[in-house]
This record gives sequence, C-alpha cells and structure tokens, in this order.
Amino acid sequence: MTRPLLALRNLTVAAGRAGSAKIILDSVSLSLAPRDIVGVVGASGSGKTVLSKAVVNWLEPPLAKRSGEVLFEGRDIYAMGGADMRSLRQRISYVGANPMGALDPTLPVGVQIVEKMRAVVPGVSRRDAERRVVELLDAVRIPSARNRFHDYPSQFSGGMMQRALIVDALVTNPALLVADNVTQPLDVTVAAQVIRLMKELTTSFNTAVLFVSSSLPVAREACSRILVMDGGRIVEEQSTEDLIDKPVYPYTRELVRQTPRIWGEPAATPPLNDRREVVLSLRDASQIYKVRKKAGFGGVNLVRAVRNVTFDVRRGDSFAIVGESGCGKSTLMRLLCRLELPSSGQILCSDQDIAALKGKGLLAFRGRLQMVLQDPFGSLPPRTSIGKILEDPLRTHRWRDKVRIRERVLKVMGEVGLPAELYEELPLGLSAGQRQRVNVARALVLEPEILIMDETLSALDQAEQFKLIDLFQKLQKEYDLTYIFISHDLAMVRKACNRVAVMYLGEVFELADNERLFFDPGHPYTKALLSAMPTLEQRRYRPEECLLEGEPPSPLDIPDGCSFRSRCPQAMNKCSRVQPSLTVRERQDFAACHLIVPPAASGDTGAAHRTMRRS
Amino acid sequence: MSVTTAAGGPIAHKPAQRSIARRIFDKAASTPGFRVGLSIFVVLALATALYPELSSIDPTKMDVKARLLPPLFLGNNWSWAHPLGTDQIGRDMLVRSLVGLRYSFLIGVASVIVMLAIGCALGTIAGYFGGRTDAVIMRLTDAQLSIPMIILAISVLGVSRPTIPAIIVVLGVSNWPVYARIMRSIVMTERQREYVRAAKIGGSTDARIILTLLLPLLLPPVLFTSVLDVARMMIFESTLGFLGLGVQPPTPTFGNIIADGRKYLLNAWWIATMPGLFLGLTLTSINLIGASLERARNTVHGGGEG
Repeated sequence: MTRPLLALRNLTVAAGRAGSAKIILDSVSLSLAPRDIVGVVGASGSGKTVLSKAVVNWLEPPLAKRSGEVLFEGRDIYAMGGADMRSLRQRISYVGANPMGALDPTLPVGVQIVEKMRAVVPGVSRRDAERRVVELLDAVRIPSARNRFHDYPSQFSGGMMQRALIVDALVTNPALLVADNVTQPLDVTVAAQVIRLMKELTTSFNTAVLFVSSSLPVAREACSRILVMDGGRIVEEQSTEDLIDKPVYPYTRELVRQTPRIWGEPAATPPLNDRREVVLSLRDASQIYKVRKKAGFGGVNLVRAVRNVTFDVRRGDSFAIVGESGCGKSTLMRLLCRLELPSSGQILCSDQDIAALKGKGLLAFRGRLQMVLQDPFGSLPPRTSIGKILEDPLRTHRWRDKVRIRERVLKVMGEVGLPAELYEELPLGLSAGQRQRVNVARALVLEPEILIMDETLSALDQAEQFKLIDLFQKLQKEYDLTYIFISHDLAMVRKACNRVAVMYLGEVFELADNERLFFDPGHPYTKALLSAMPTLEQRRYRPEECLLEGEPPSPLDIPDGCSFRSRCPQAMNKCSRVQPSLTVRERQDFAACHLIVPPAASGDTGAAHRTMRRS
Repeated sequence: MSVTTAAGGPIAHKPAQRSIARRIFDKAASTPGFRVGLSIFVVLALATALYPELSSIDPTKMDVKARLLPPLFLGNNWSWAHPLGTDQIGRDMLVRSLVGLRYSFLIGVASVIVMLAIGCALGTIAGYFGGRTDAVIMRLTDAQLSIPMIILAISVLGVSRPTIPAIIVVLGVSNWPVYARIMRSIVMTERQREYVRAAKIGGSTDARIILTLLLPLLLPPVLFTSVLDVARMMIFESTLGFLGLGVQPPTPTFGNIIADGRKYLLNAWWIATMPGLFLGLTLTSINLIGASLERARNTVHGGGEG
C-alpha cells in the first residue's frame, strides 16, 4: 500500500485556556491517499471547520493543538519551522465557504492570484505566473479568462468567484486541497458544476481533496469515501454507497433517514382539484427597475426583474416558487405583499387589484396576507420583547383591549410551540428555529388567509426544518391557510408543496403539480434543476444530459428568444428567435418551451393564454 | 409529531416576567455608581428647590458690611451665615449658586430637548424617506452648520431681548445638525432591516414604524450621549452670560456669576469657583446615572443578565 498523502493521528484541538478548555476535536485520526476525494460530514458545531483548518496548520487562538500529529507525506506539519511550512503551502491549499469575502475588493482577481503564487513559489517570474493563472481560469471554465483576469471581485458572480478561488488554490499544483463547504453559498446548478469540476481536477492535476460539507447529499456527489463527525469525533467511516445503504452509528442513521427523498416517497401533499376559490391571481405582472448606467453620461439600464408572470393561487394551496438566485423570486415576493407596485400587469386578491388599495382596504389586505421572512436574526427587532413584537401587528390593526391582545398573543405562541415564559424575553437567547417560530407567530397573529414564506426554512438545519414543515401542515389544516413558499430548495418543495412554479430570469418557465413536476418535468431548465439537486437517491435525470456549463445571463441584457437557450442542451434555431410562452401540457400543467406540444396539437399559444385565464 | 414540545431548545431563562425597562432599571439601581449619582442629584435637587425659600435669603440682597466673605473655615472672617462666602456686594454665594443652578439647569436641559427634537425629527425623516427629502434636509443642515453659534446668538439675542426662552431657542437651534446627522445615518441602516419590512407587511404606516419601532430602538443611545450636551449647553449659557447676552442681572445664573467674579479672582477666588463646583457636581451625578443606565441596558440587551 502506498504511503498516505495526509494522515491525522489522534489529533486533539481545544479552545480556551488550559484550565477551562473546551475540546473541539477529540483524537481525530484519518488518512487520505493521493487523488482521493474524502468527505467529512457533520452537523453544525461538530468541528468540521476546525478540522479543515487544523489540516492546513491554520489554528488561531483561542484554538490550539493539544496532542496528536498531522502528517503530510510523513512529516508532521506542526513540528515544522516557518520557512518549511511556507514552502509546504505550495502543496496544501484551502478553499473556504465565503467566496465573496475571500479576495481583496480593491485589486483585480488575477493580480491577487499571481501575488499568492509568487509568495509561495519562489523564483516564478510574473509573466509565467500570469500565464499559468490564465490557463487555470480557462480550465475552470471562466469565459474569456484573459479579460476576466483584470476584473475586480465585485464583477464576478458567486459561482465564478468560487471557481476563481479554486484556481487560487490550484495555482501551485497542490497535492492536497481542503474544501470547506465550498458549495454552500452557491445555487444548485452552479454547485453541481463546481463539484463536477473538482472531480475532474483530481484526475488532471493529481490532487487529493478533503471535502468538508454540512450536507450529506452534496458530499455524496463529490466523494468516494465519507467520514461522519459528531461532537468533535469521527464516528463513522465508510465508502459513500455503503454509508448511505448501511449507516451504523445512530447519528449517521438519523442523518440518512432525515435526508429528504424526492422520488422515493409519494408526495405528502395530494394534488387538489381546481374548482377551489382563487385567492391570489397574477395577471402579466412585471417589474422593471431603472439602474443608472455606470459608464457614460446619464442613461439608465432597465433591469427586468419579473416578466409577465401569470398564475393563480387557490385556497388551500401550498404554492411554491422556485428558482436560482437572481431569478426574480424576491422581487415577485415584494410584489405579492405589496411592498412594491408592479410596473405593469395586475395582482388580484379576491378580484381586487391590490395596487388600488388604500387606507382601510389596504389594512384589511395586510390582515389577509402575511409573510414570514427569511433571516431569523434580522427579522426580529433586537430590543423589543417577544410579546411586544407579537402585539404590534394587532395594535396596528386597531385592537385596543389589552387583555384580549395578550390572550391572542399567548394563544398563537402556544400554537407555534413557543413557551409562554418567552413573553417578556428579548429575542436574544433564542435559537434560529425559535426565532423563526416567532416570525411565524407574528404572521399568524392576525389570522391571515395567505401566508408567504420567503426562504423561511433555508437558515435552519434539517431537523428543525422538518418540525416547522409539520407545524405548517398542522396549521394549514386547522385554519385553511394558503401558503406561498419562495424557495430554492427543491427537496423542501417536494415535501411541503402541492403546486410549483419554476422561475428563471424573471419568467415562469413551468407551472405544475408537485407529482408532475418532479416525475415528468416539461421544461429543460426544470430537468437541469432536478439533475443538479444533491440527493441520496438514484437520479431520474442525469446531470451530464441536462446541465450545460455557464451561468444565467445578466438580467440587464436578457437575450432575445428563449432566455434559457444559452444553457439549454436542447436549444434549437427557433429558440433564438421566438420567445416561448407558457403552453398547456395538461389541465393544470404548463411549461414555456418550444418542445412542448399542447394536447390539442394546435401549436397556438393563444390557447394557452385562454386556458390560463380560465384555470 | 407533538409541536408544543418541539420548541424545547436550550432556553436557560428564568421565568422572569418583569418587563425589559423594569429589568434595566433594577440592574442599574444595583450598581454603586448609580446610587452615588442619584444621591448627589437628589441632594442638589432638594437644595435648589428648598434652600433659597427656607433660608429666606434673597439672592439679590446686598449687604455691603459682609462683602467678600470667604467660605467656611477659610481666611479669618468667615461666618456660618454665609457657608460659601459672599460676593463683592455681599450677596450670599450659596443661595446665588443654587438659584443660578436652577436657571442654568433649566436652560441646559431645555435647550438639549429643543436640539434633540429638531435634530432627531429631521434626521429620522431624512434617513427614513431618503431621496429628495433627504437631500433637502441635509443641505439645510449644512447651511445651519455654516453659521457660527456665537454670531447667531449675538444677532438674535442682540436684536431681541435676551430672555430665557430666547436663549434656549438660540442654543437649541444652533446645535441640532449633529443630532440630525447621527440619526440620519443610523436610521438609514436600520430602515433596510427585515423587521421594518415585517412591520410594513403587518400594515404599519411609515409614521407608526418611525414612532413605535425605530425611535424606541435608536433614541436611547442618542439620549445617553446627549446628557453630555446638557453640560455643554450650561457652559454655553455661561459664555453668553459672559458676553452679556445671557440672562440679565440681577437674576443669577452661572454665566453672570462667573462674569462678575472674574474681576475678583485674585482676592476672592470663590466667587467664580463656586458655580463651577455646582456645575461639576450636577454633571457628575447625571453622568453617573446615565452611564450605569447605559451599562445596564447593554447587559440586558446583550443577554448578559445574571
């Protein structure tokens, strides 16, 4: 057997001073062979990030190594002097989870990578370093790498930035790459590209990867072998498939069991009939922002954030709006809850245009439609007690009787599972899950009919998400609520929603019932999303067939024709000329693609619109 | 799944059902600084309120026989009748200082209130609404900043009679831009927060958001810093008094007592010093109270409640 590239022997890392030190890593041992990709999976707080930093000799106070050794090619990196360690930095690289914060915003990206290369590899001329960086930028498929070399970090998108950082790590041809949660901030399709890229790089650059991730499905995509961490210890190590089939340790079993399945389970939400009352209806709603041009004098760019969105939400629906970042979800959310008025089109709530509401009517609308916000920390005023936070909407809605207000608040707190003792507490000590419950309670306290969930669950861990989804379903039954989930997490959508709208660049690409969307998607973009989604199951859609390289075009200049054609594997000539409109596939299912042939086979798009109106 | 038990997170809170404000006050009241400050303040307040009346000494009554008496135990002709000595025309320094403290304190507090009211209102409006409103208000602030306070005071008080309300208005009007700027910048960052959006969706109007959500959150730190300005305003009033534009004699204020005492600094230092001593005591007590309240507020809001 060959000597392992990296070996950890009983590594123990503690935080704080000797007397009251807290053990973060507890005798961790692992080994990594050259060209291996090994995953490290664990809940937040299990010591993953500390492990990844310990491996690259980057422990900062109060963290300190207690005992054990980190052997890199047989040599203990903690026993090395500064100069030796510096030359070793050529061979060990690190990529972190926060690509946007990792580079200096005042210097061009390429220059910074060249600088790093010249710092760790002595004797490289600037010209050689530049050539190498451009080569690598090309290799990670950054389009027109030579020009991009001189761009500043703010001109890179999140996915491109993460790839630039991978270049930064690979530029010295390292033997070991430590990737700490690299895909976490990225959209699924971009994350899938990055993982695919890393796998290719291991073979073409002879690099071993220690892939640290908080998500088991993501690690499964990337790794051949997975270590599970729990409370600072490595509790299980198996090859990926075995780990998923036969998890041994209780925490791993729980992890595998809780990971949502998309195709393996029947939908929890049966499709509902379409004769229910329409509570919210969008008619060609569009929102255009004017952005002042940076170059030249005057003039504005038009950002078409939401384009001609038309759909109906019926009473009792759990309607999901999914899409990647920048697809217009958040703008749509602002339109729906009337924080902004659409620049054209209408939004009807019970046949009333919400843009026309004023005074009393507006207040009544606010009482009917409420929203639960995304960020559990920013969405609660920090210095107001929880009781007061929940009383506030009631007071706004002209409740005057103190006793009744208190009763109502306590009742809602009970319903969402908040203990009554929290009434006089500040939101400070609360966990993210509890804060999100306060958010839900604040929305529920007015007894609304429609509840918009703006990425409500994305900040929570898996277990907490499940509890909240259960809570939502219970509340829905009890109060006949209508939910609109805005999300990028397809697994959550599969579990919680009965109807799904897929958005891309401000347009609705597909609108279908849960079952139909996941099993028989009509639009190539939906397929791409499904194929890119990390899951523990056998995929129905293979990323190789469904997903092309590249990122969504900028909303500043949306191409003519179909806006997805730059990434669509099935793009045809027609796609660059004619913009497809939502076409009926079946009674309630629509997709905007030229490949869809409506059941009437007339090919007449007007029919689709008529059906939309009727439904 | 049982939902009520699902929230069983690690809440280590005691079932403390006191309101937040109450907890902050209790916490502050338990510190020695607060108690010392409060007791000095209470003693001074009682003294200013009661002593001039009880002792029935007229602060403007002259007594040429007892002029320039030193304070207790100093020199050789001090007397119990005048614990802090007398001035150049035999007026009792203690009564004059206490009455002066009344006026000075009134002017200091009132002008800070005027300043806060104008500055915070304009700053909050500018920061919250932004755009053109912001531009107009901020240019106004710049214009105000470019007028030196003394010139404004001389032109206003020189033309009209320097009455106490006029002095308060002049002091307040010439110092609000600082508060406008502070409030504007914090409101601007705060109004983009998600909880403001939540309040909007809850149906709150802009006025409601500003008054019930933003001001209670942002005003306390500003109030604590403005306590220092009470001192500054009292000193400014002295400056005006020194220029002859302050409260007119014979009404004693710190400004005109000090202005009078200036000529006697060498042979009767106490005339100019006593008002300063009272000023110092008052400000120390206010600052002690303010600082412990601020600290208590930070611990309670920072979660470090023990």
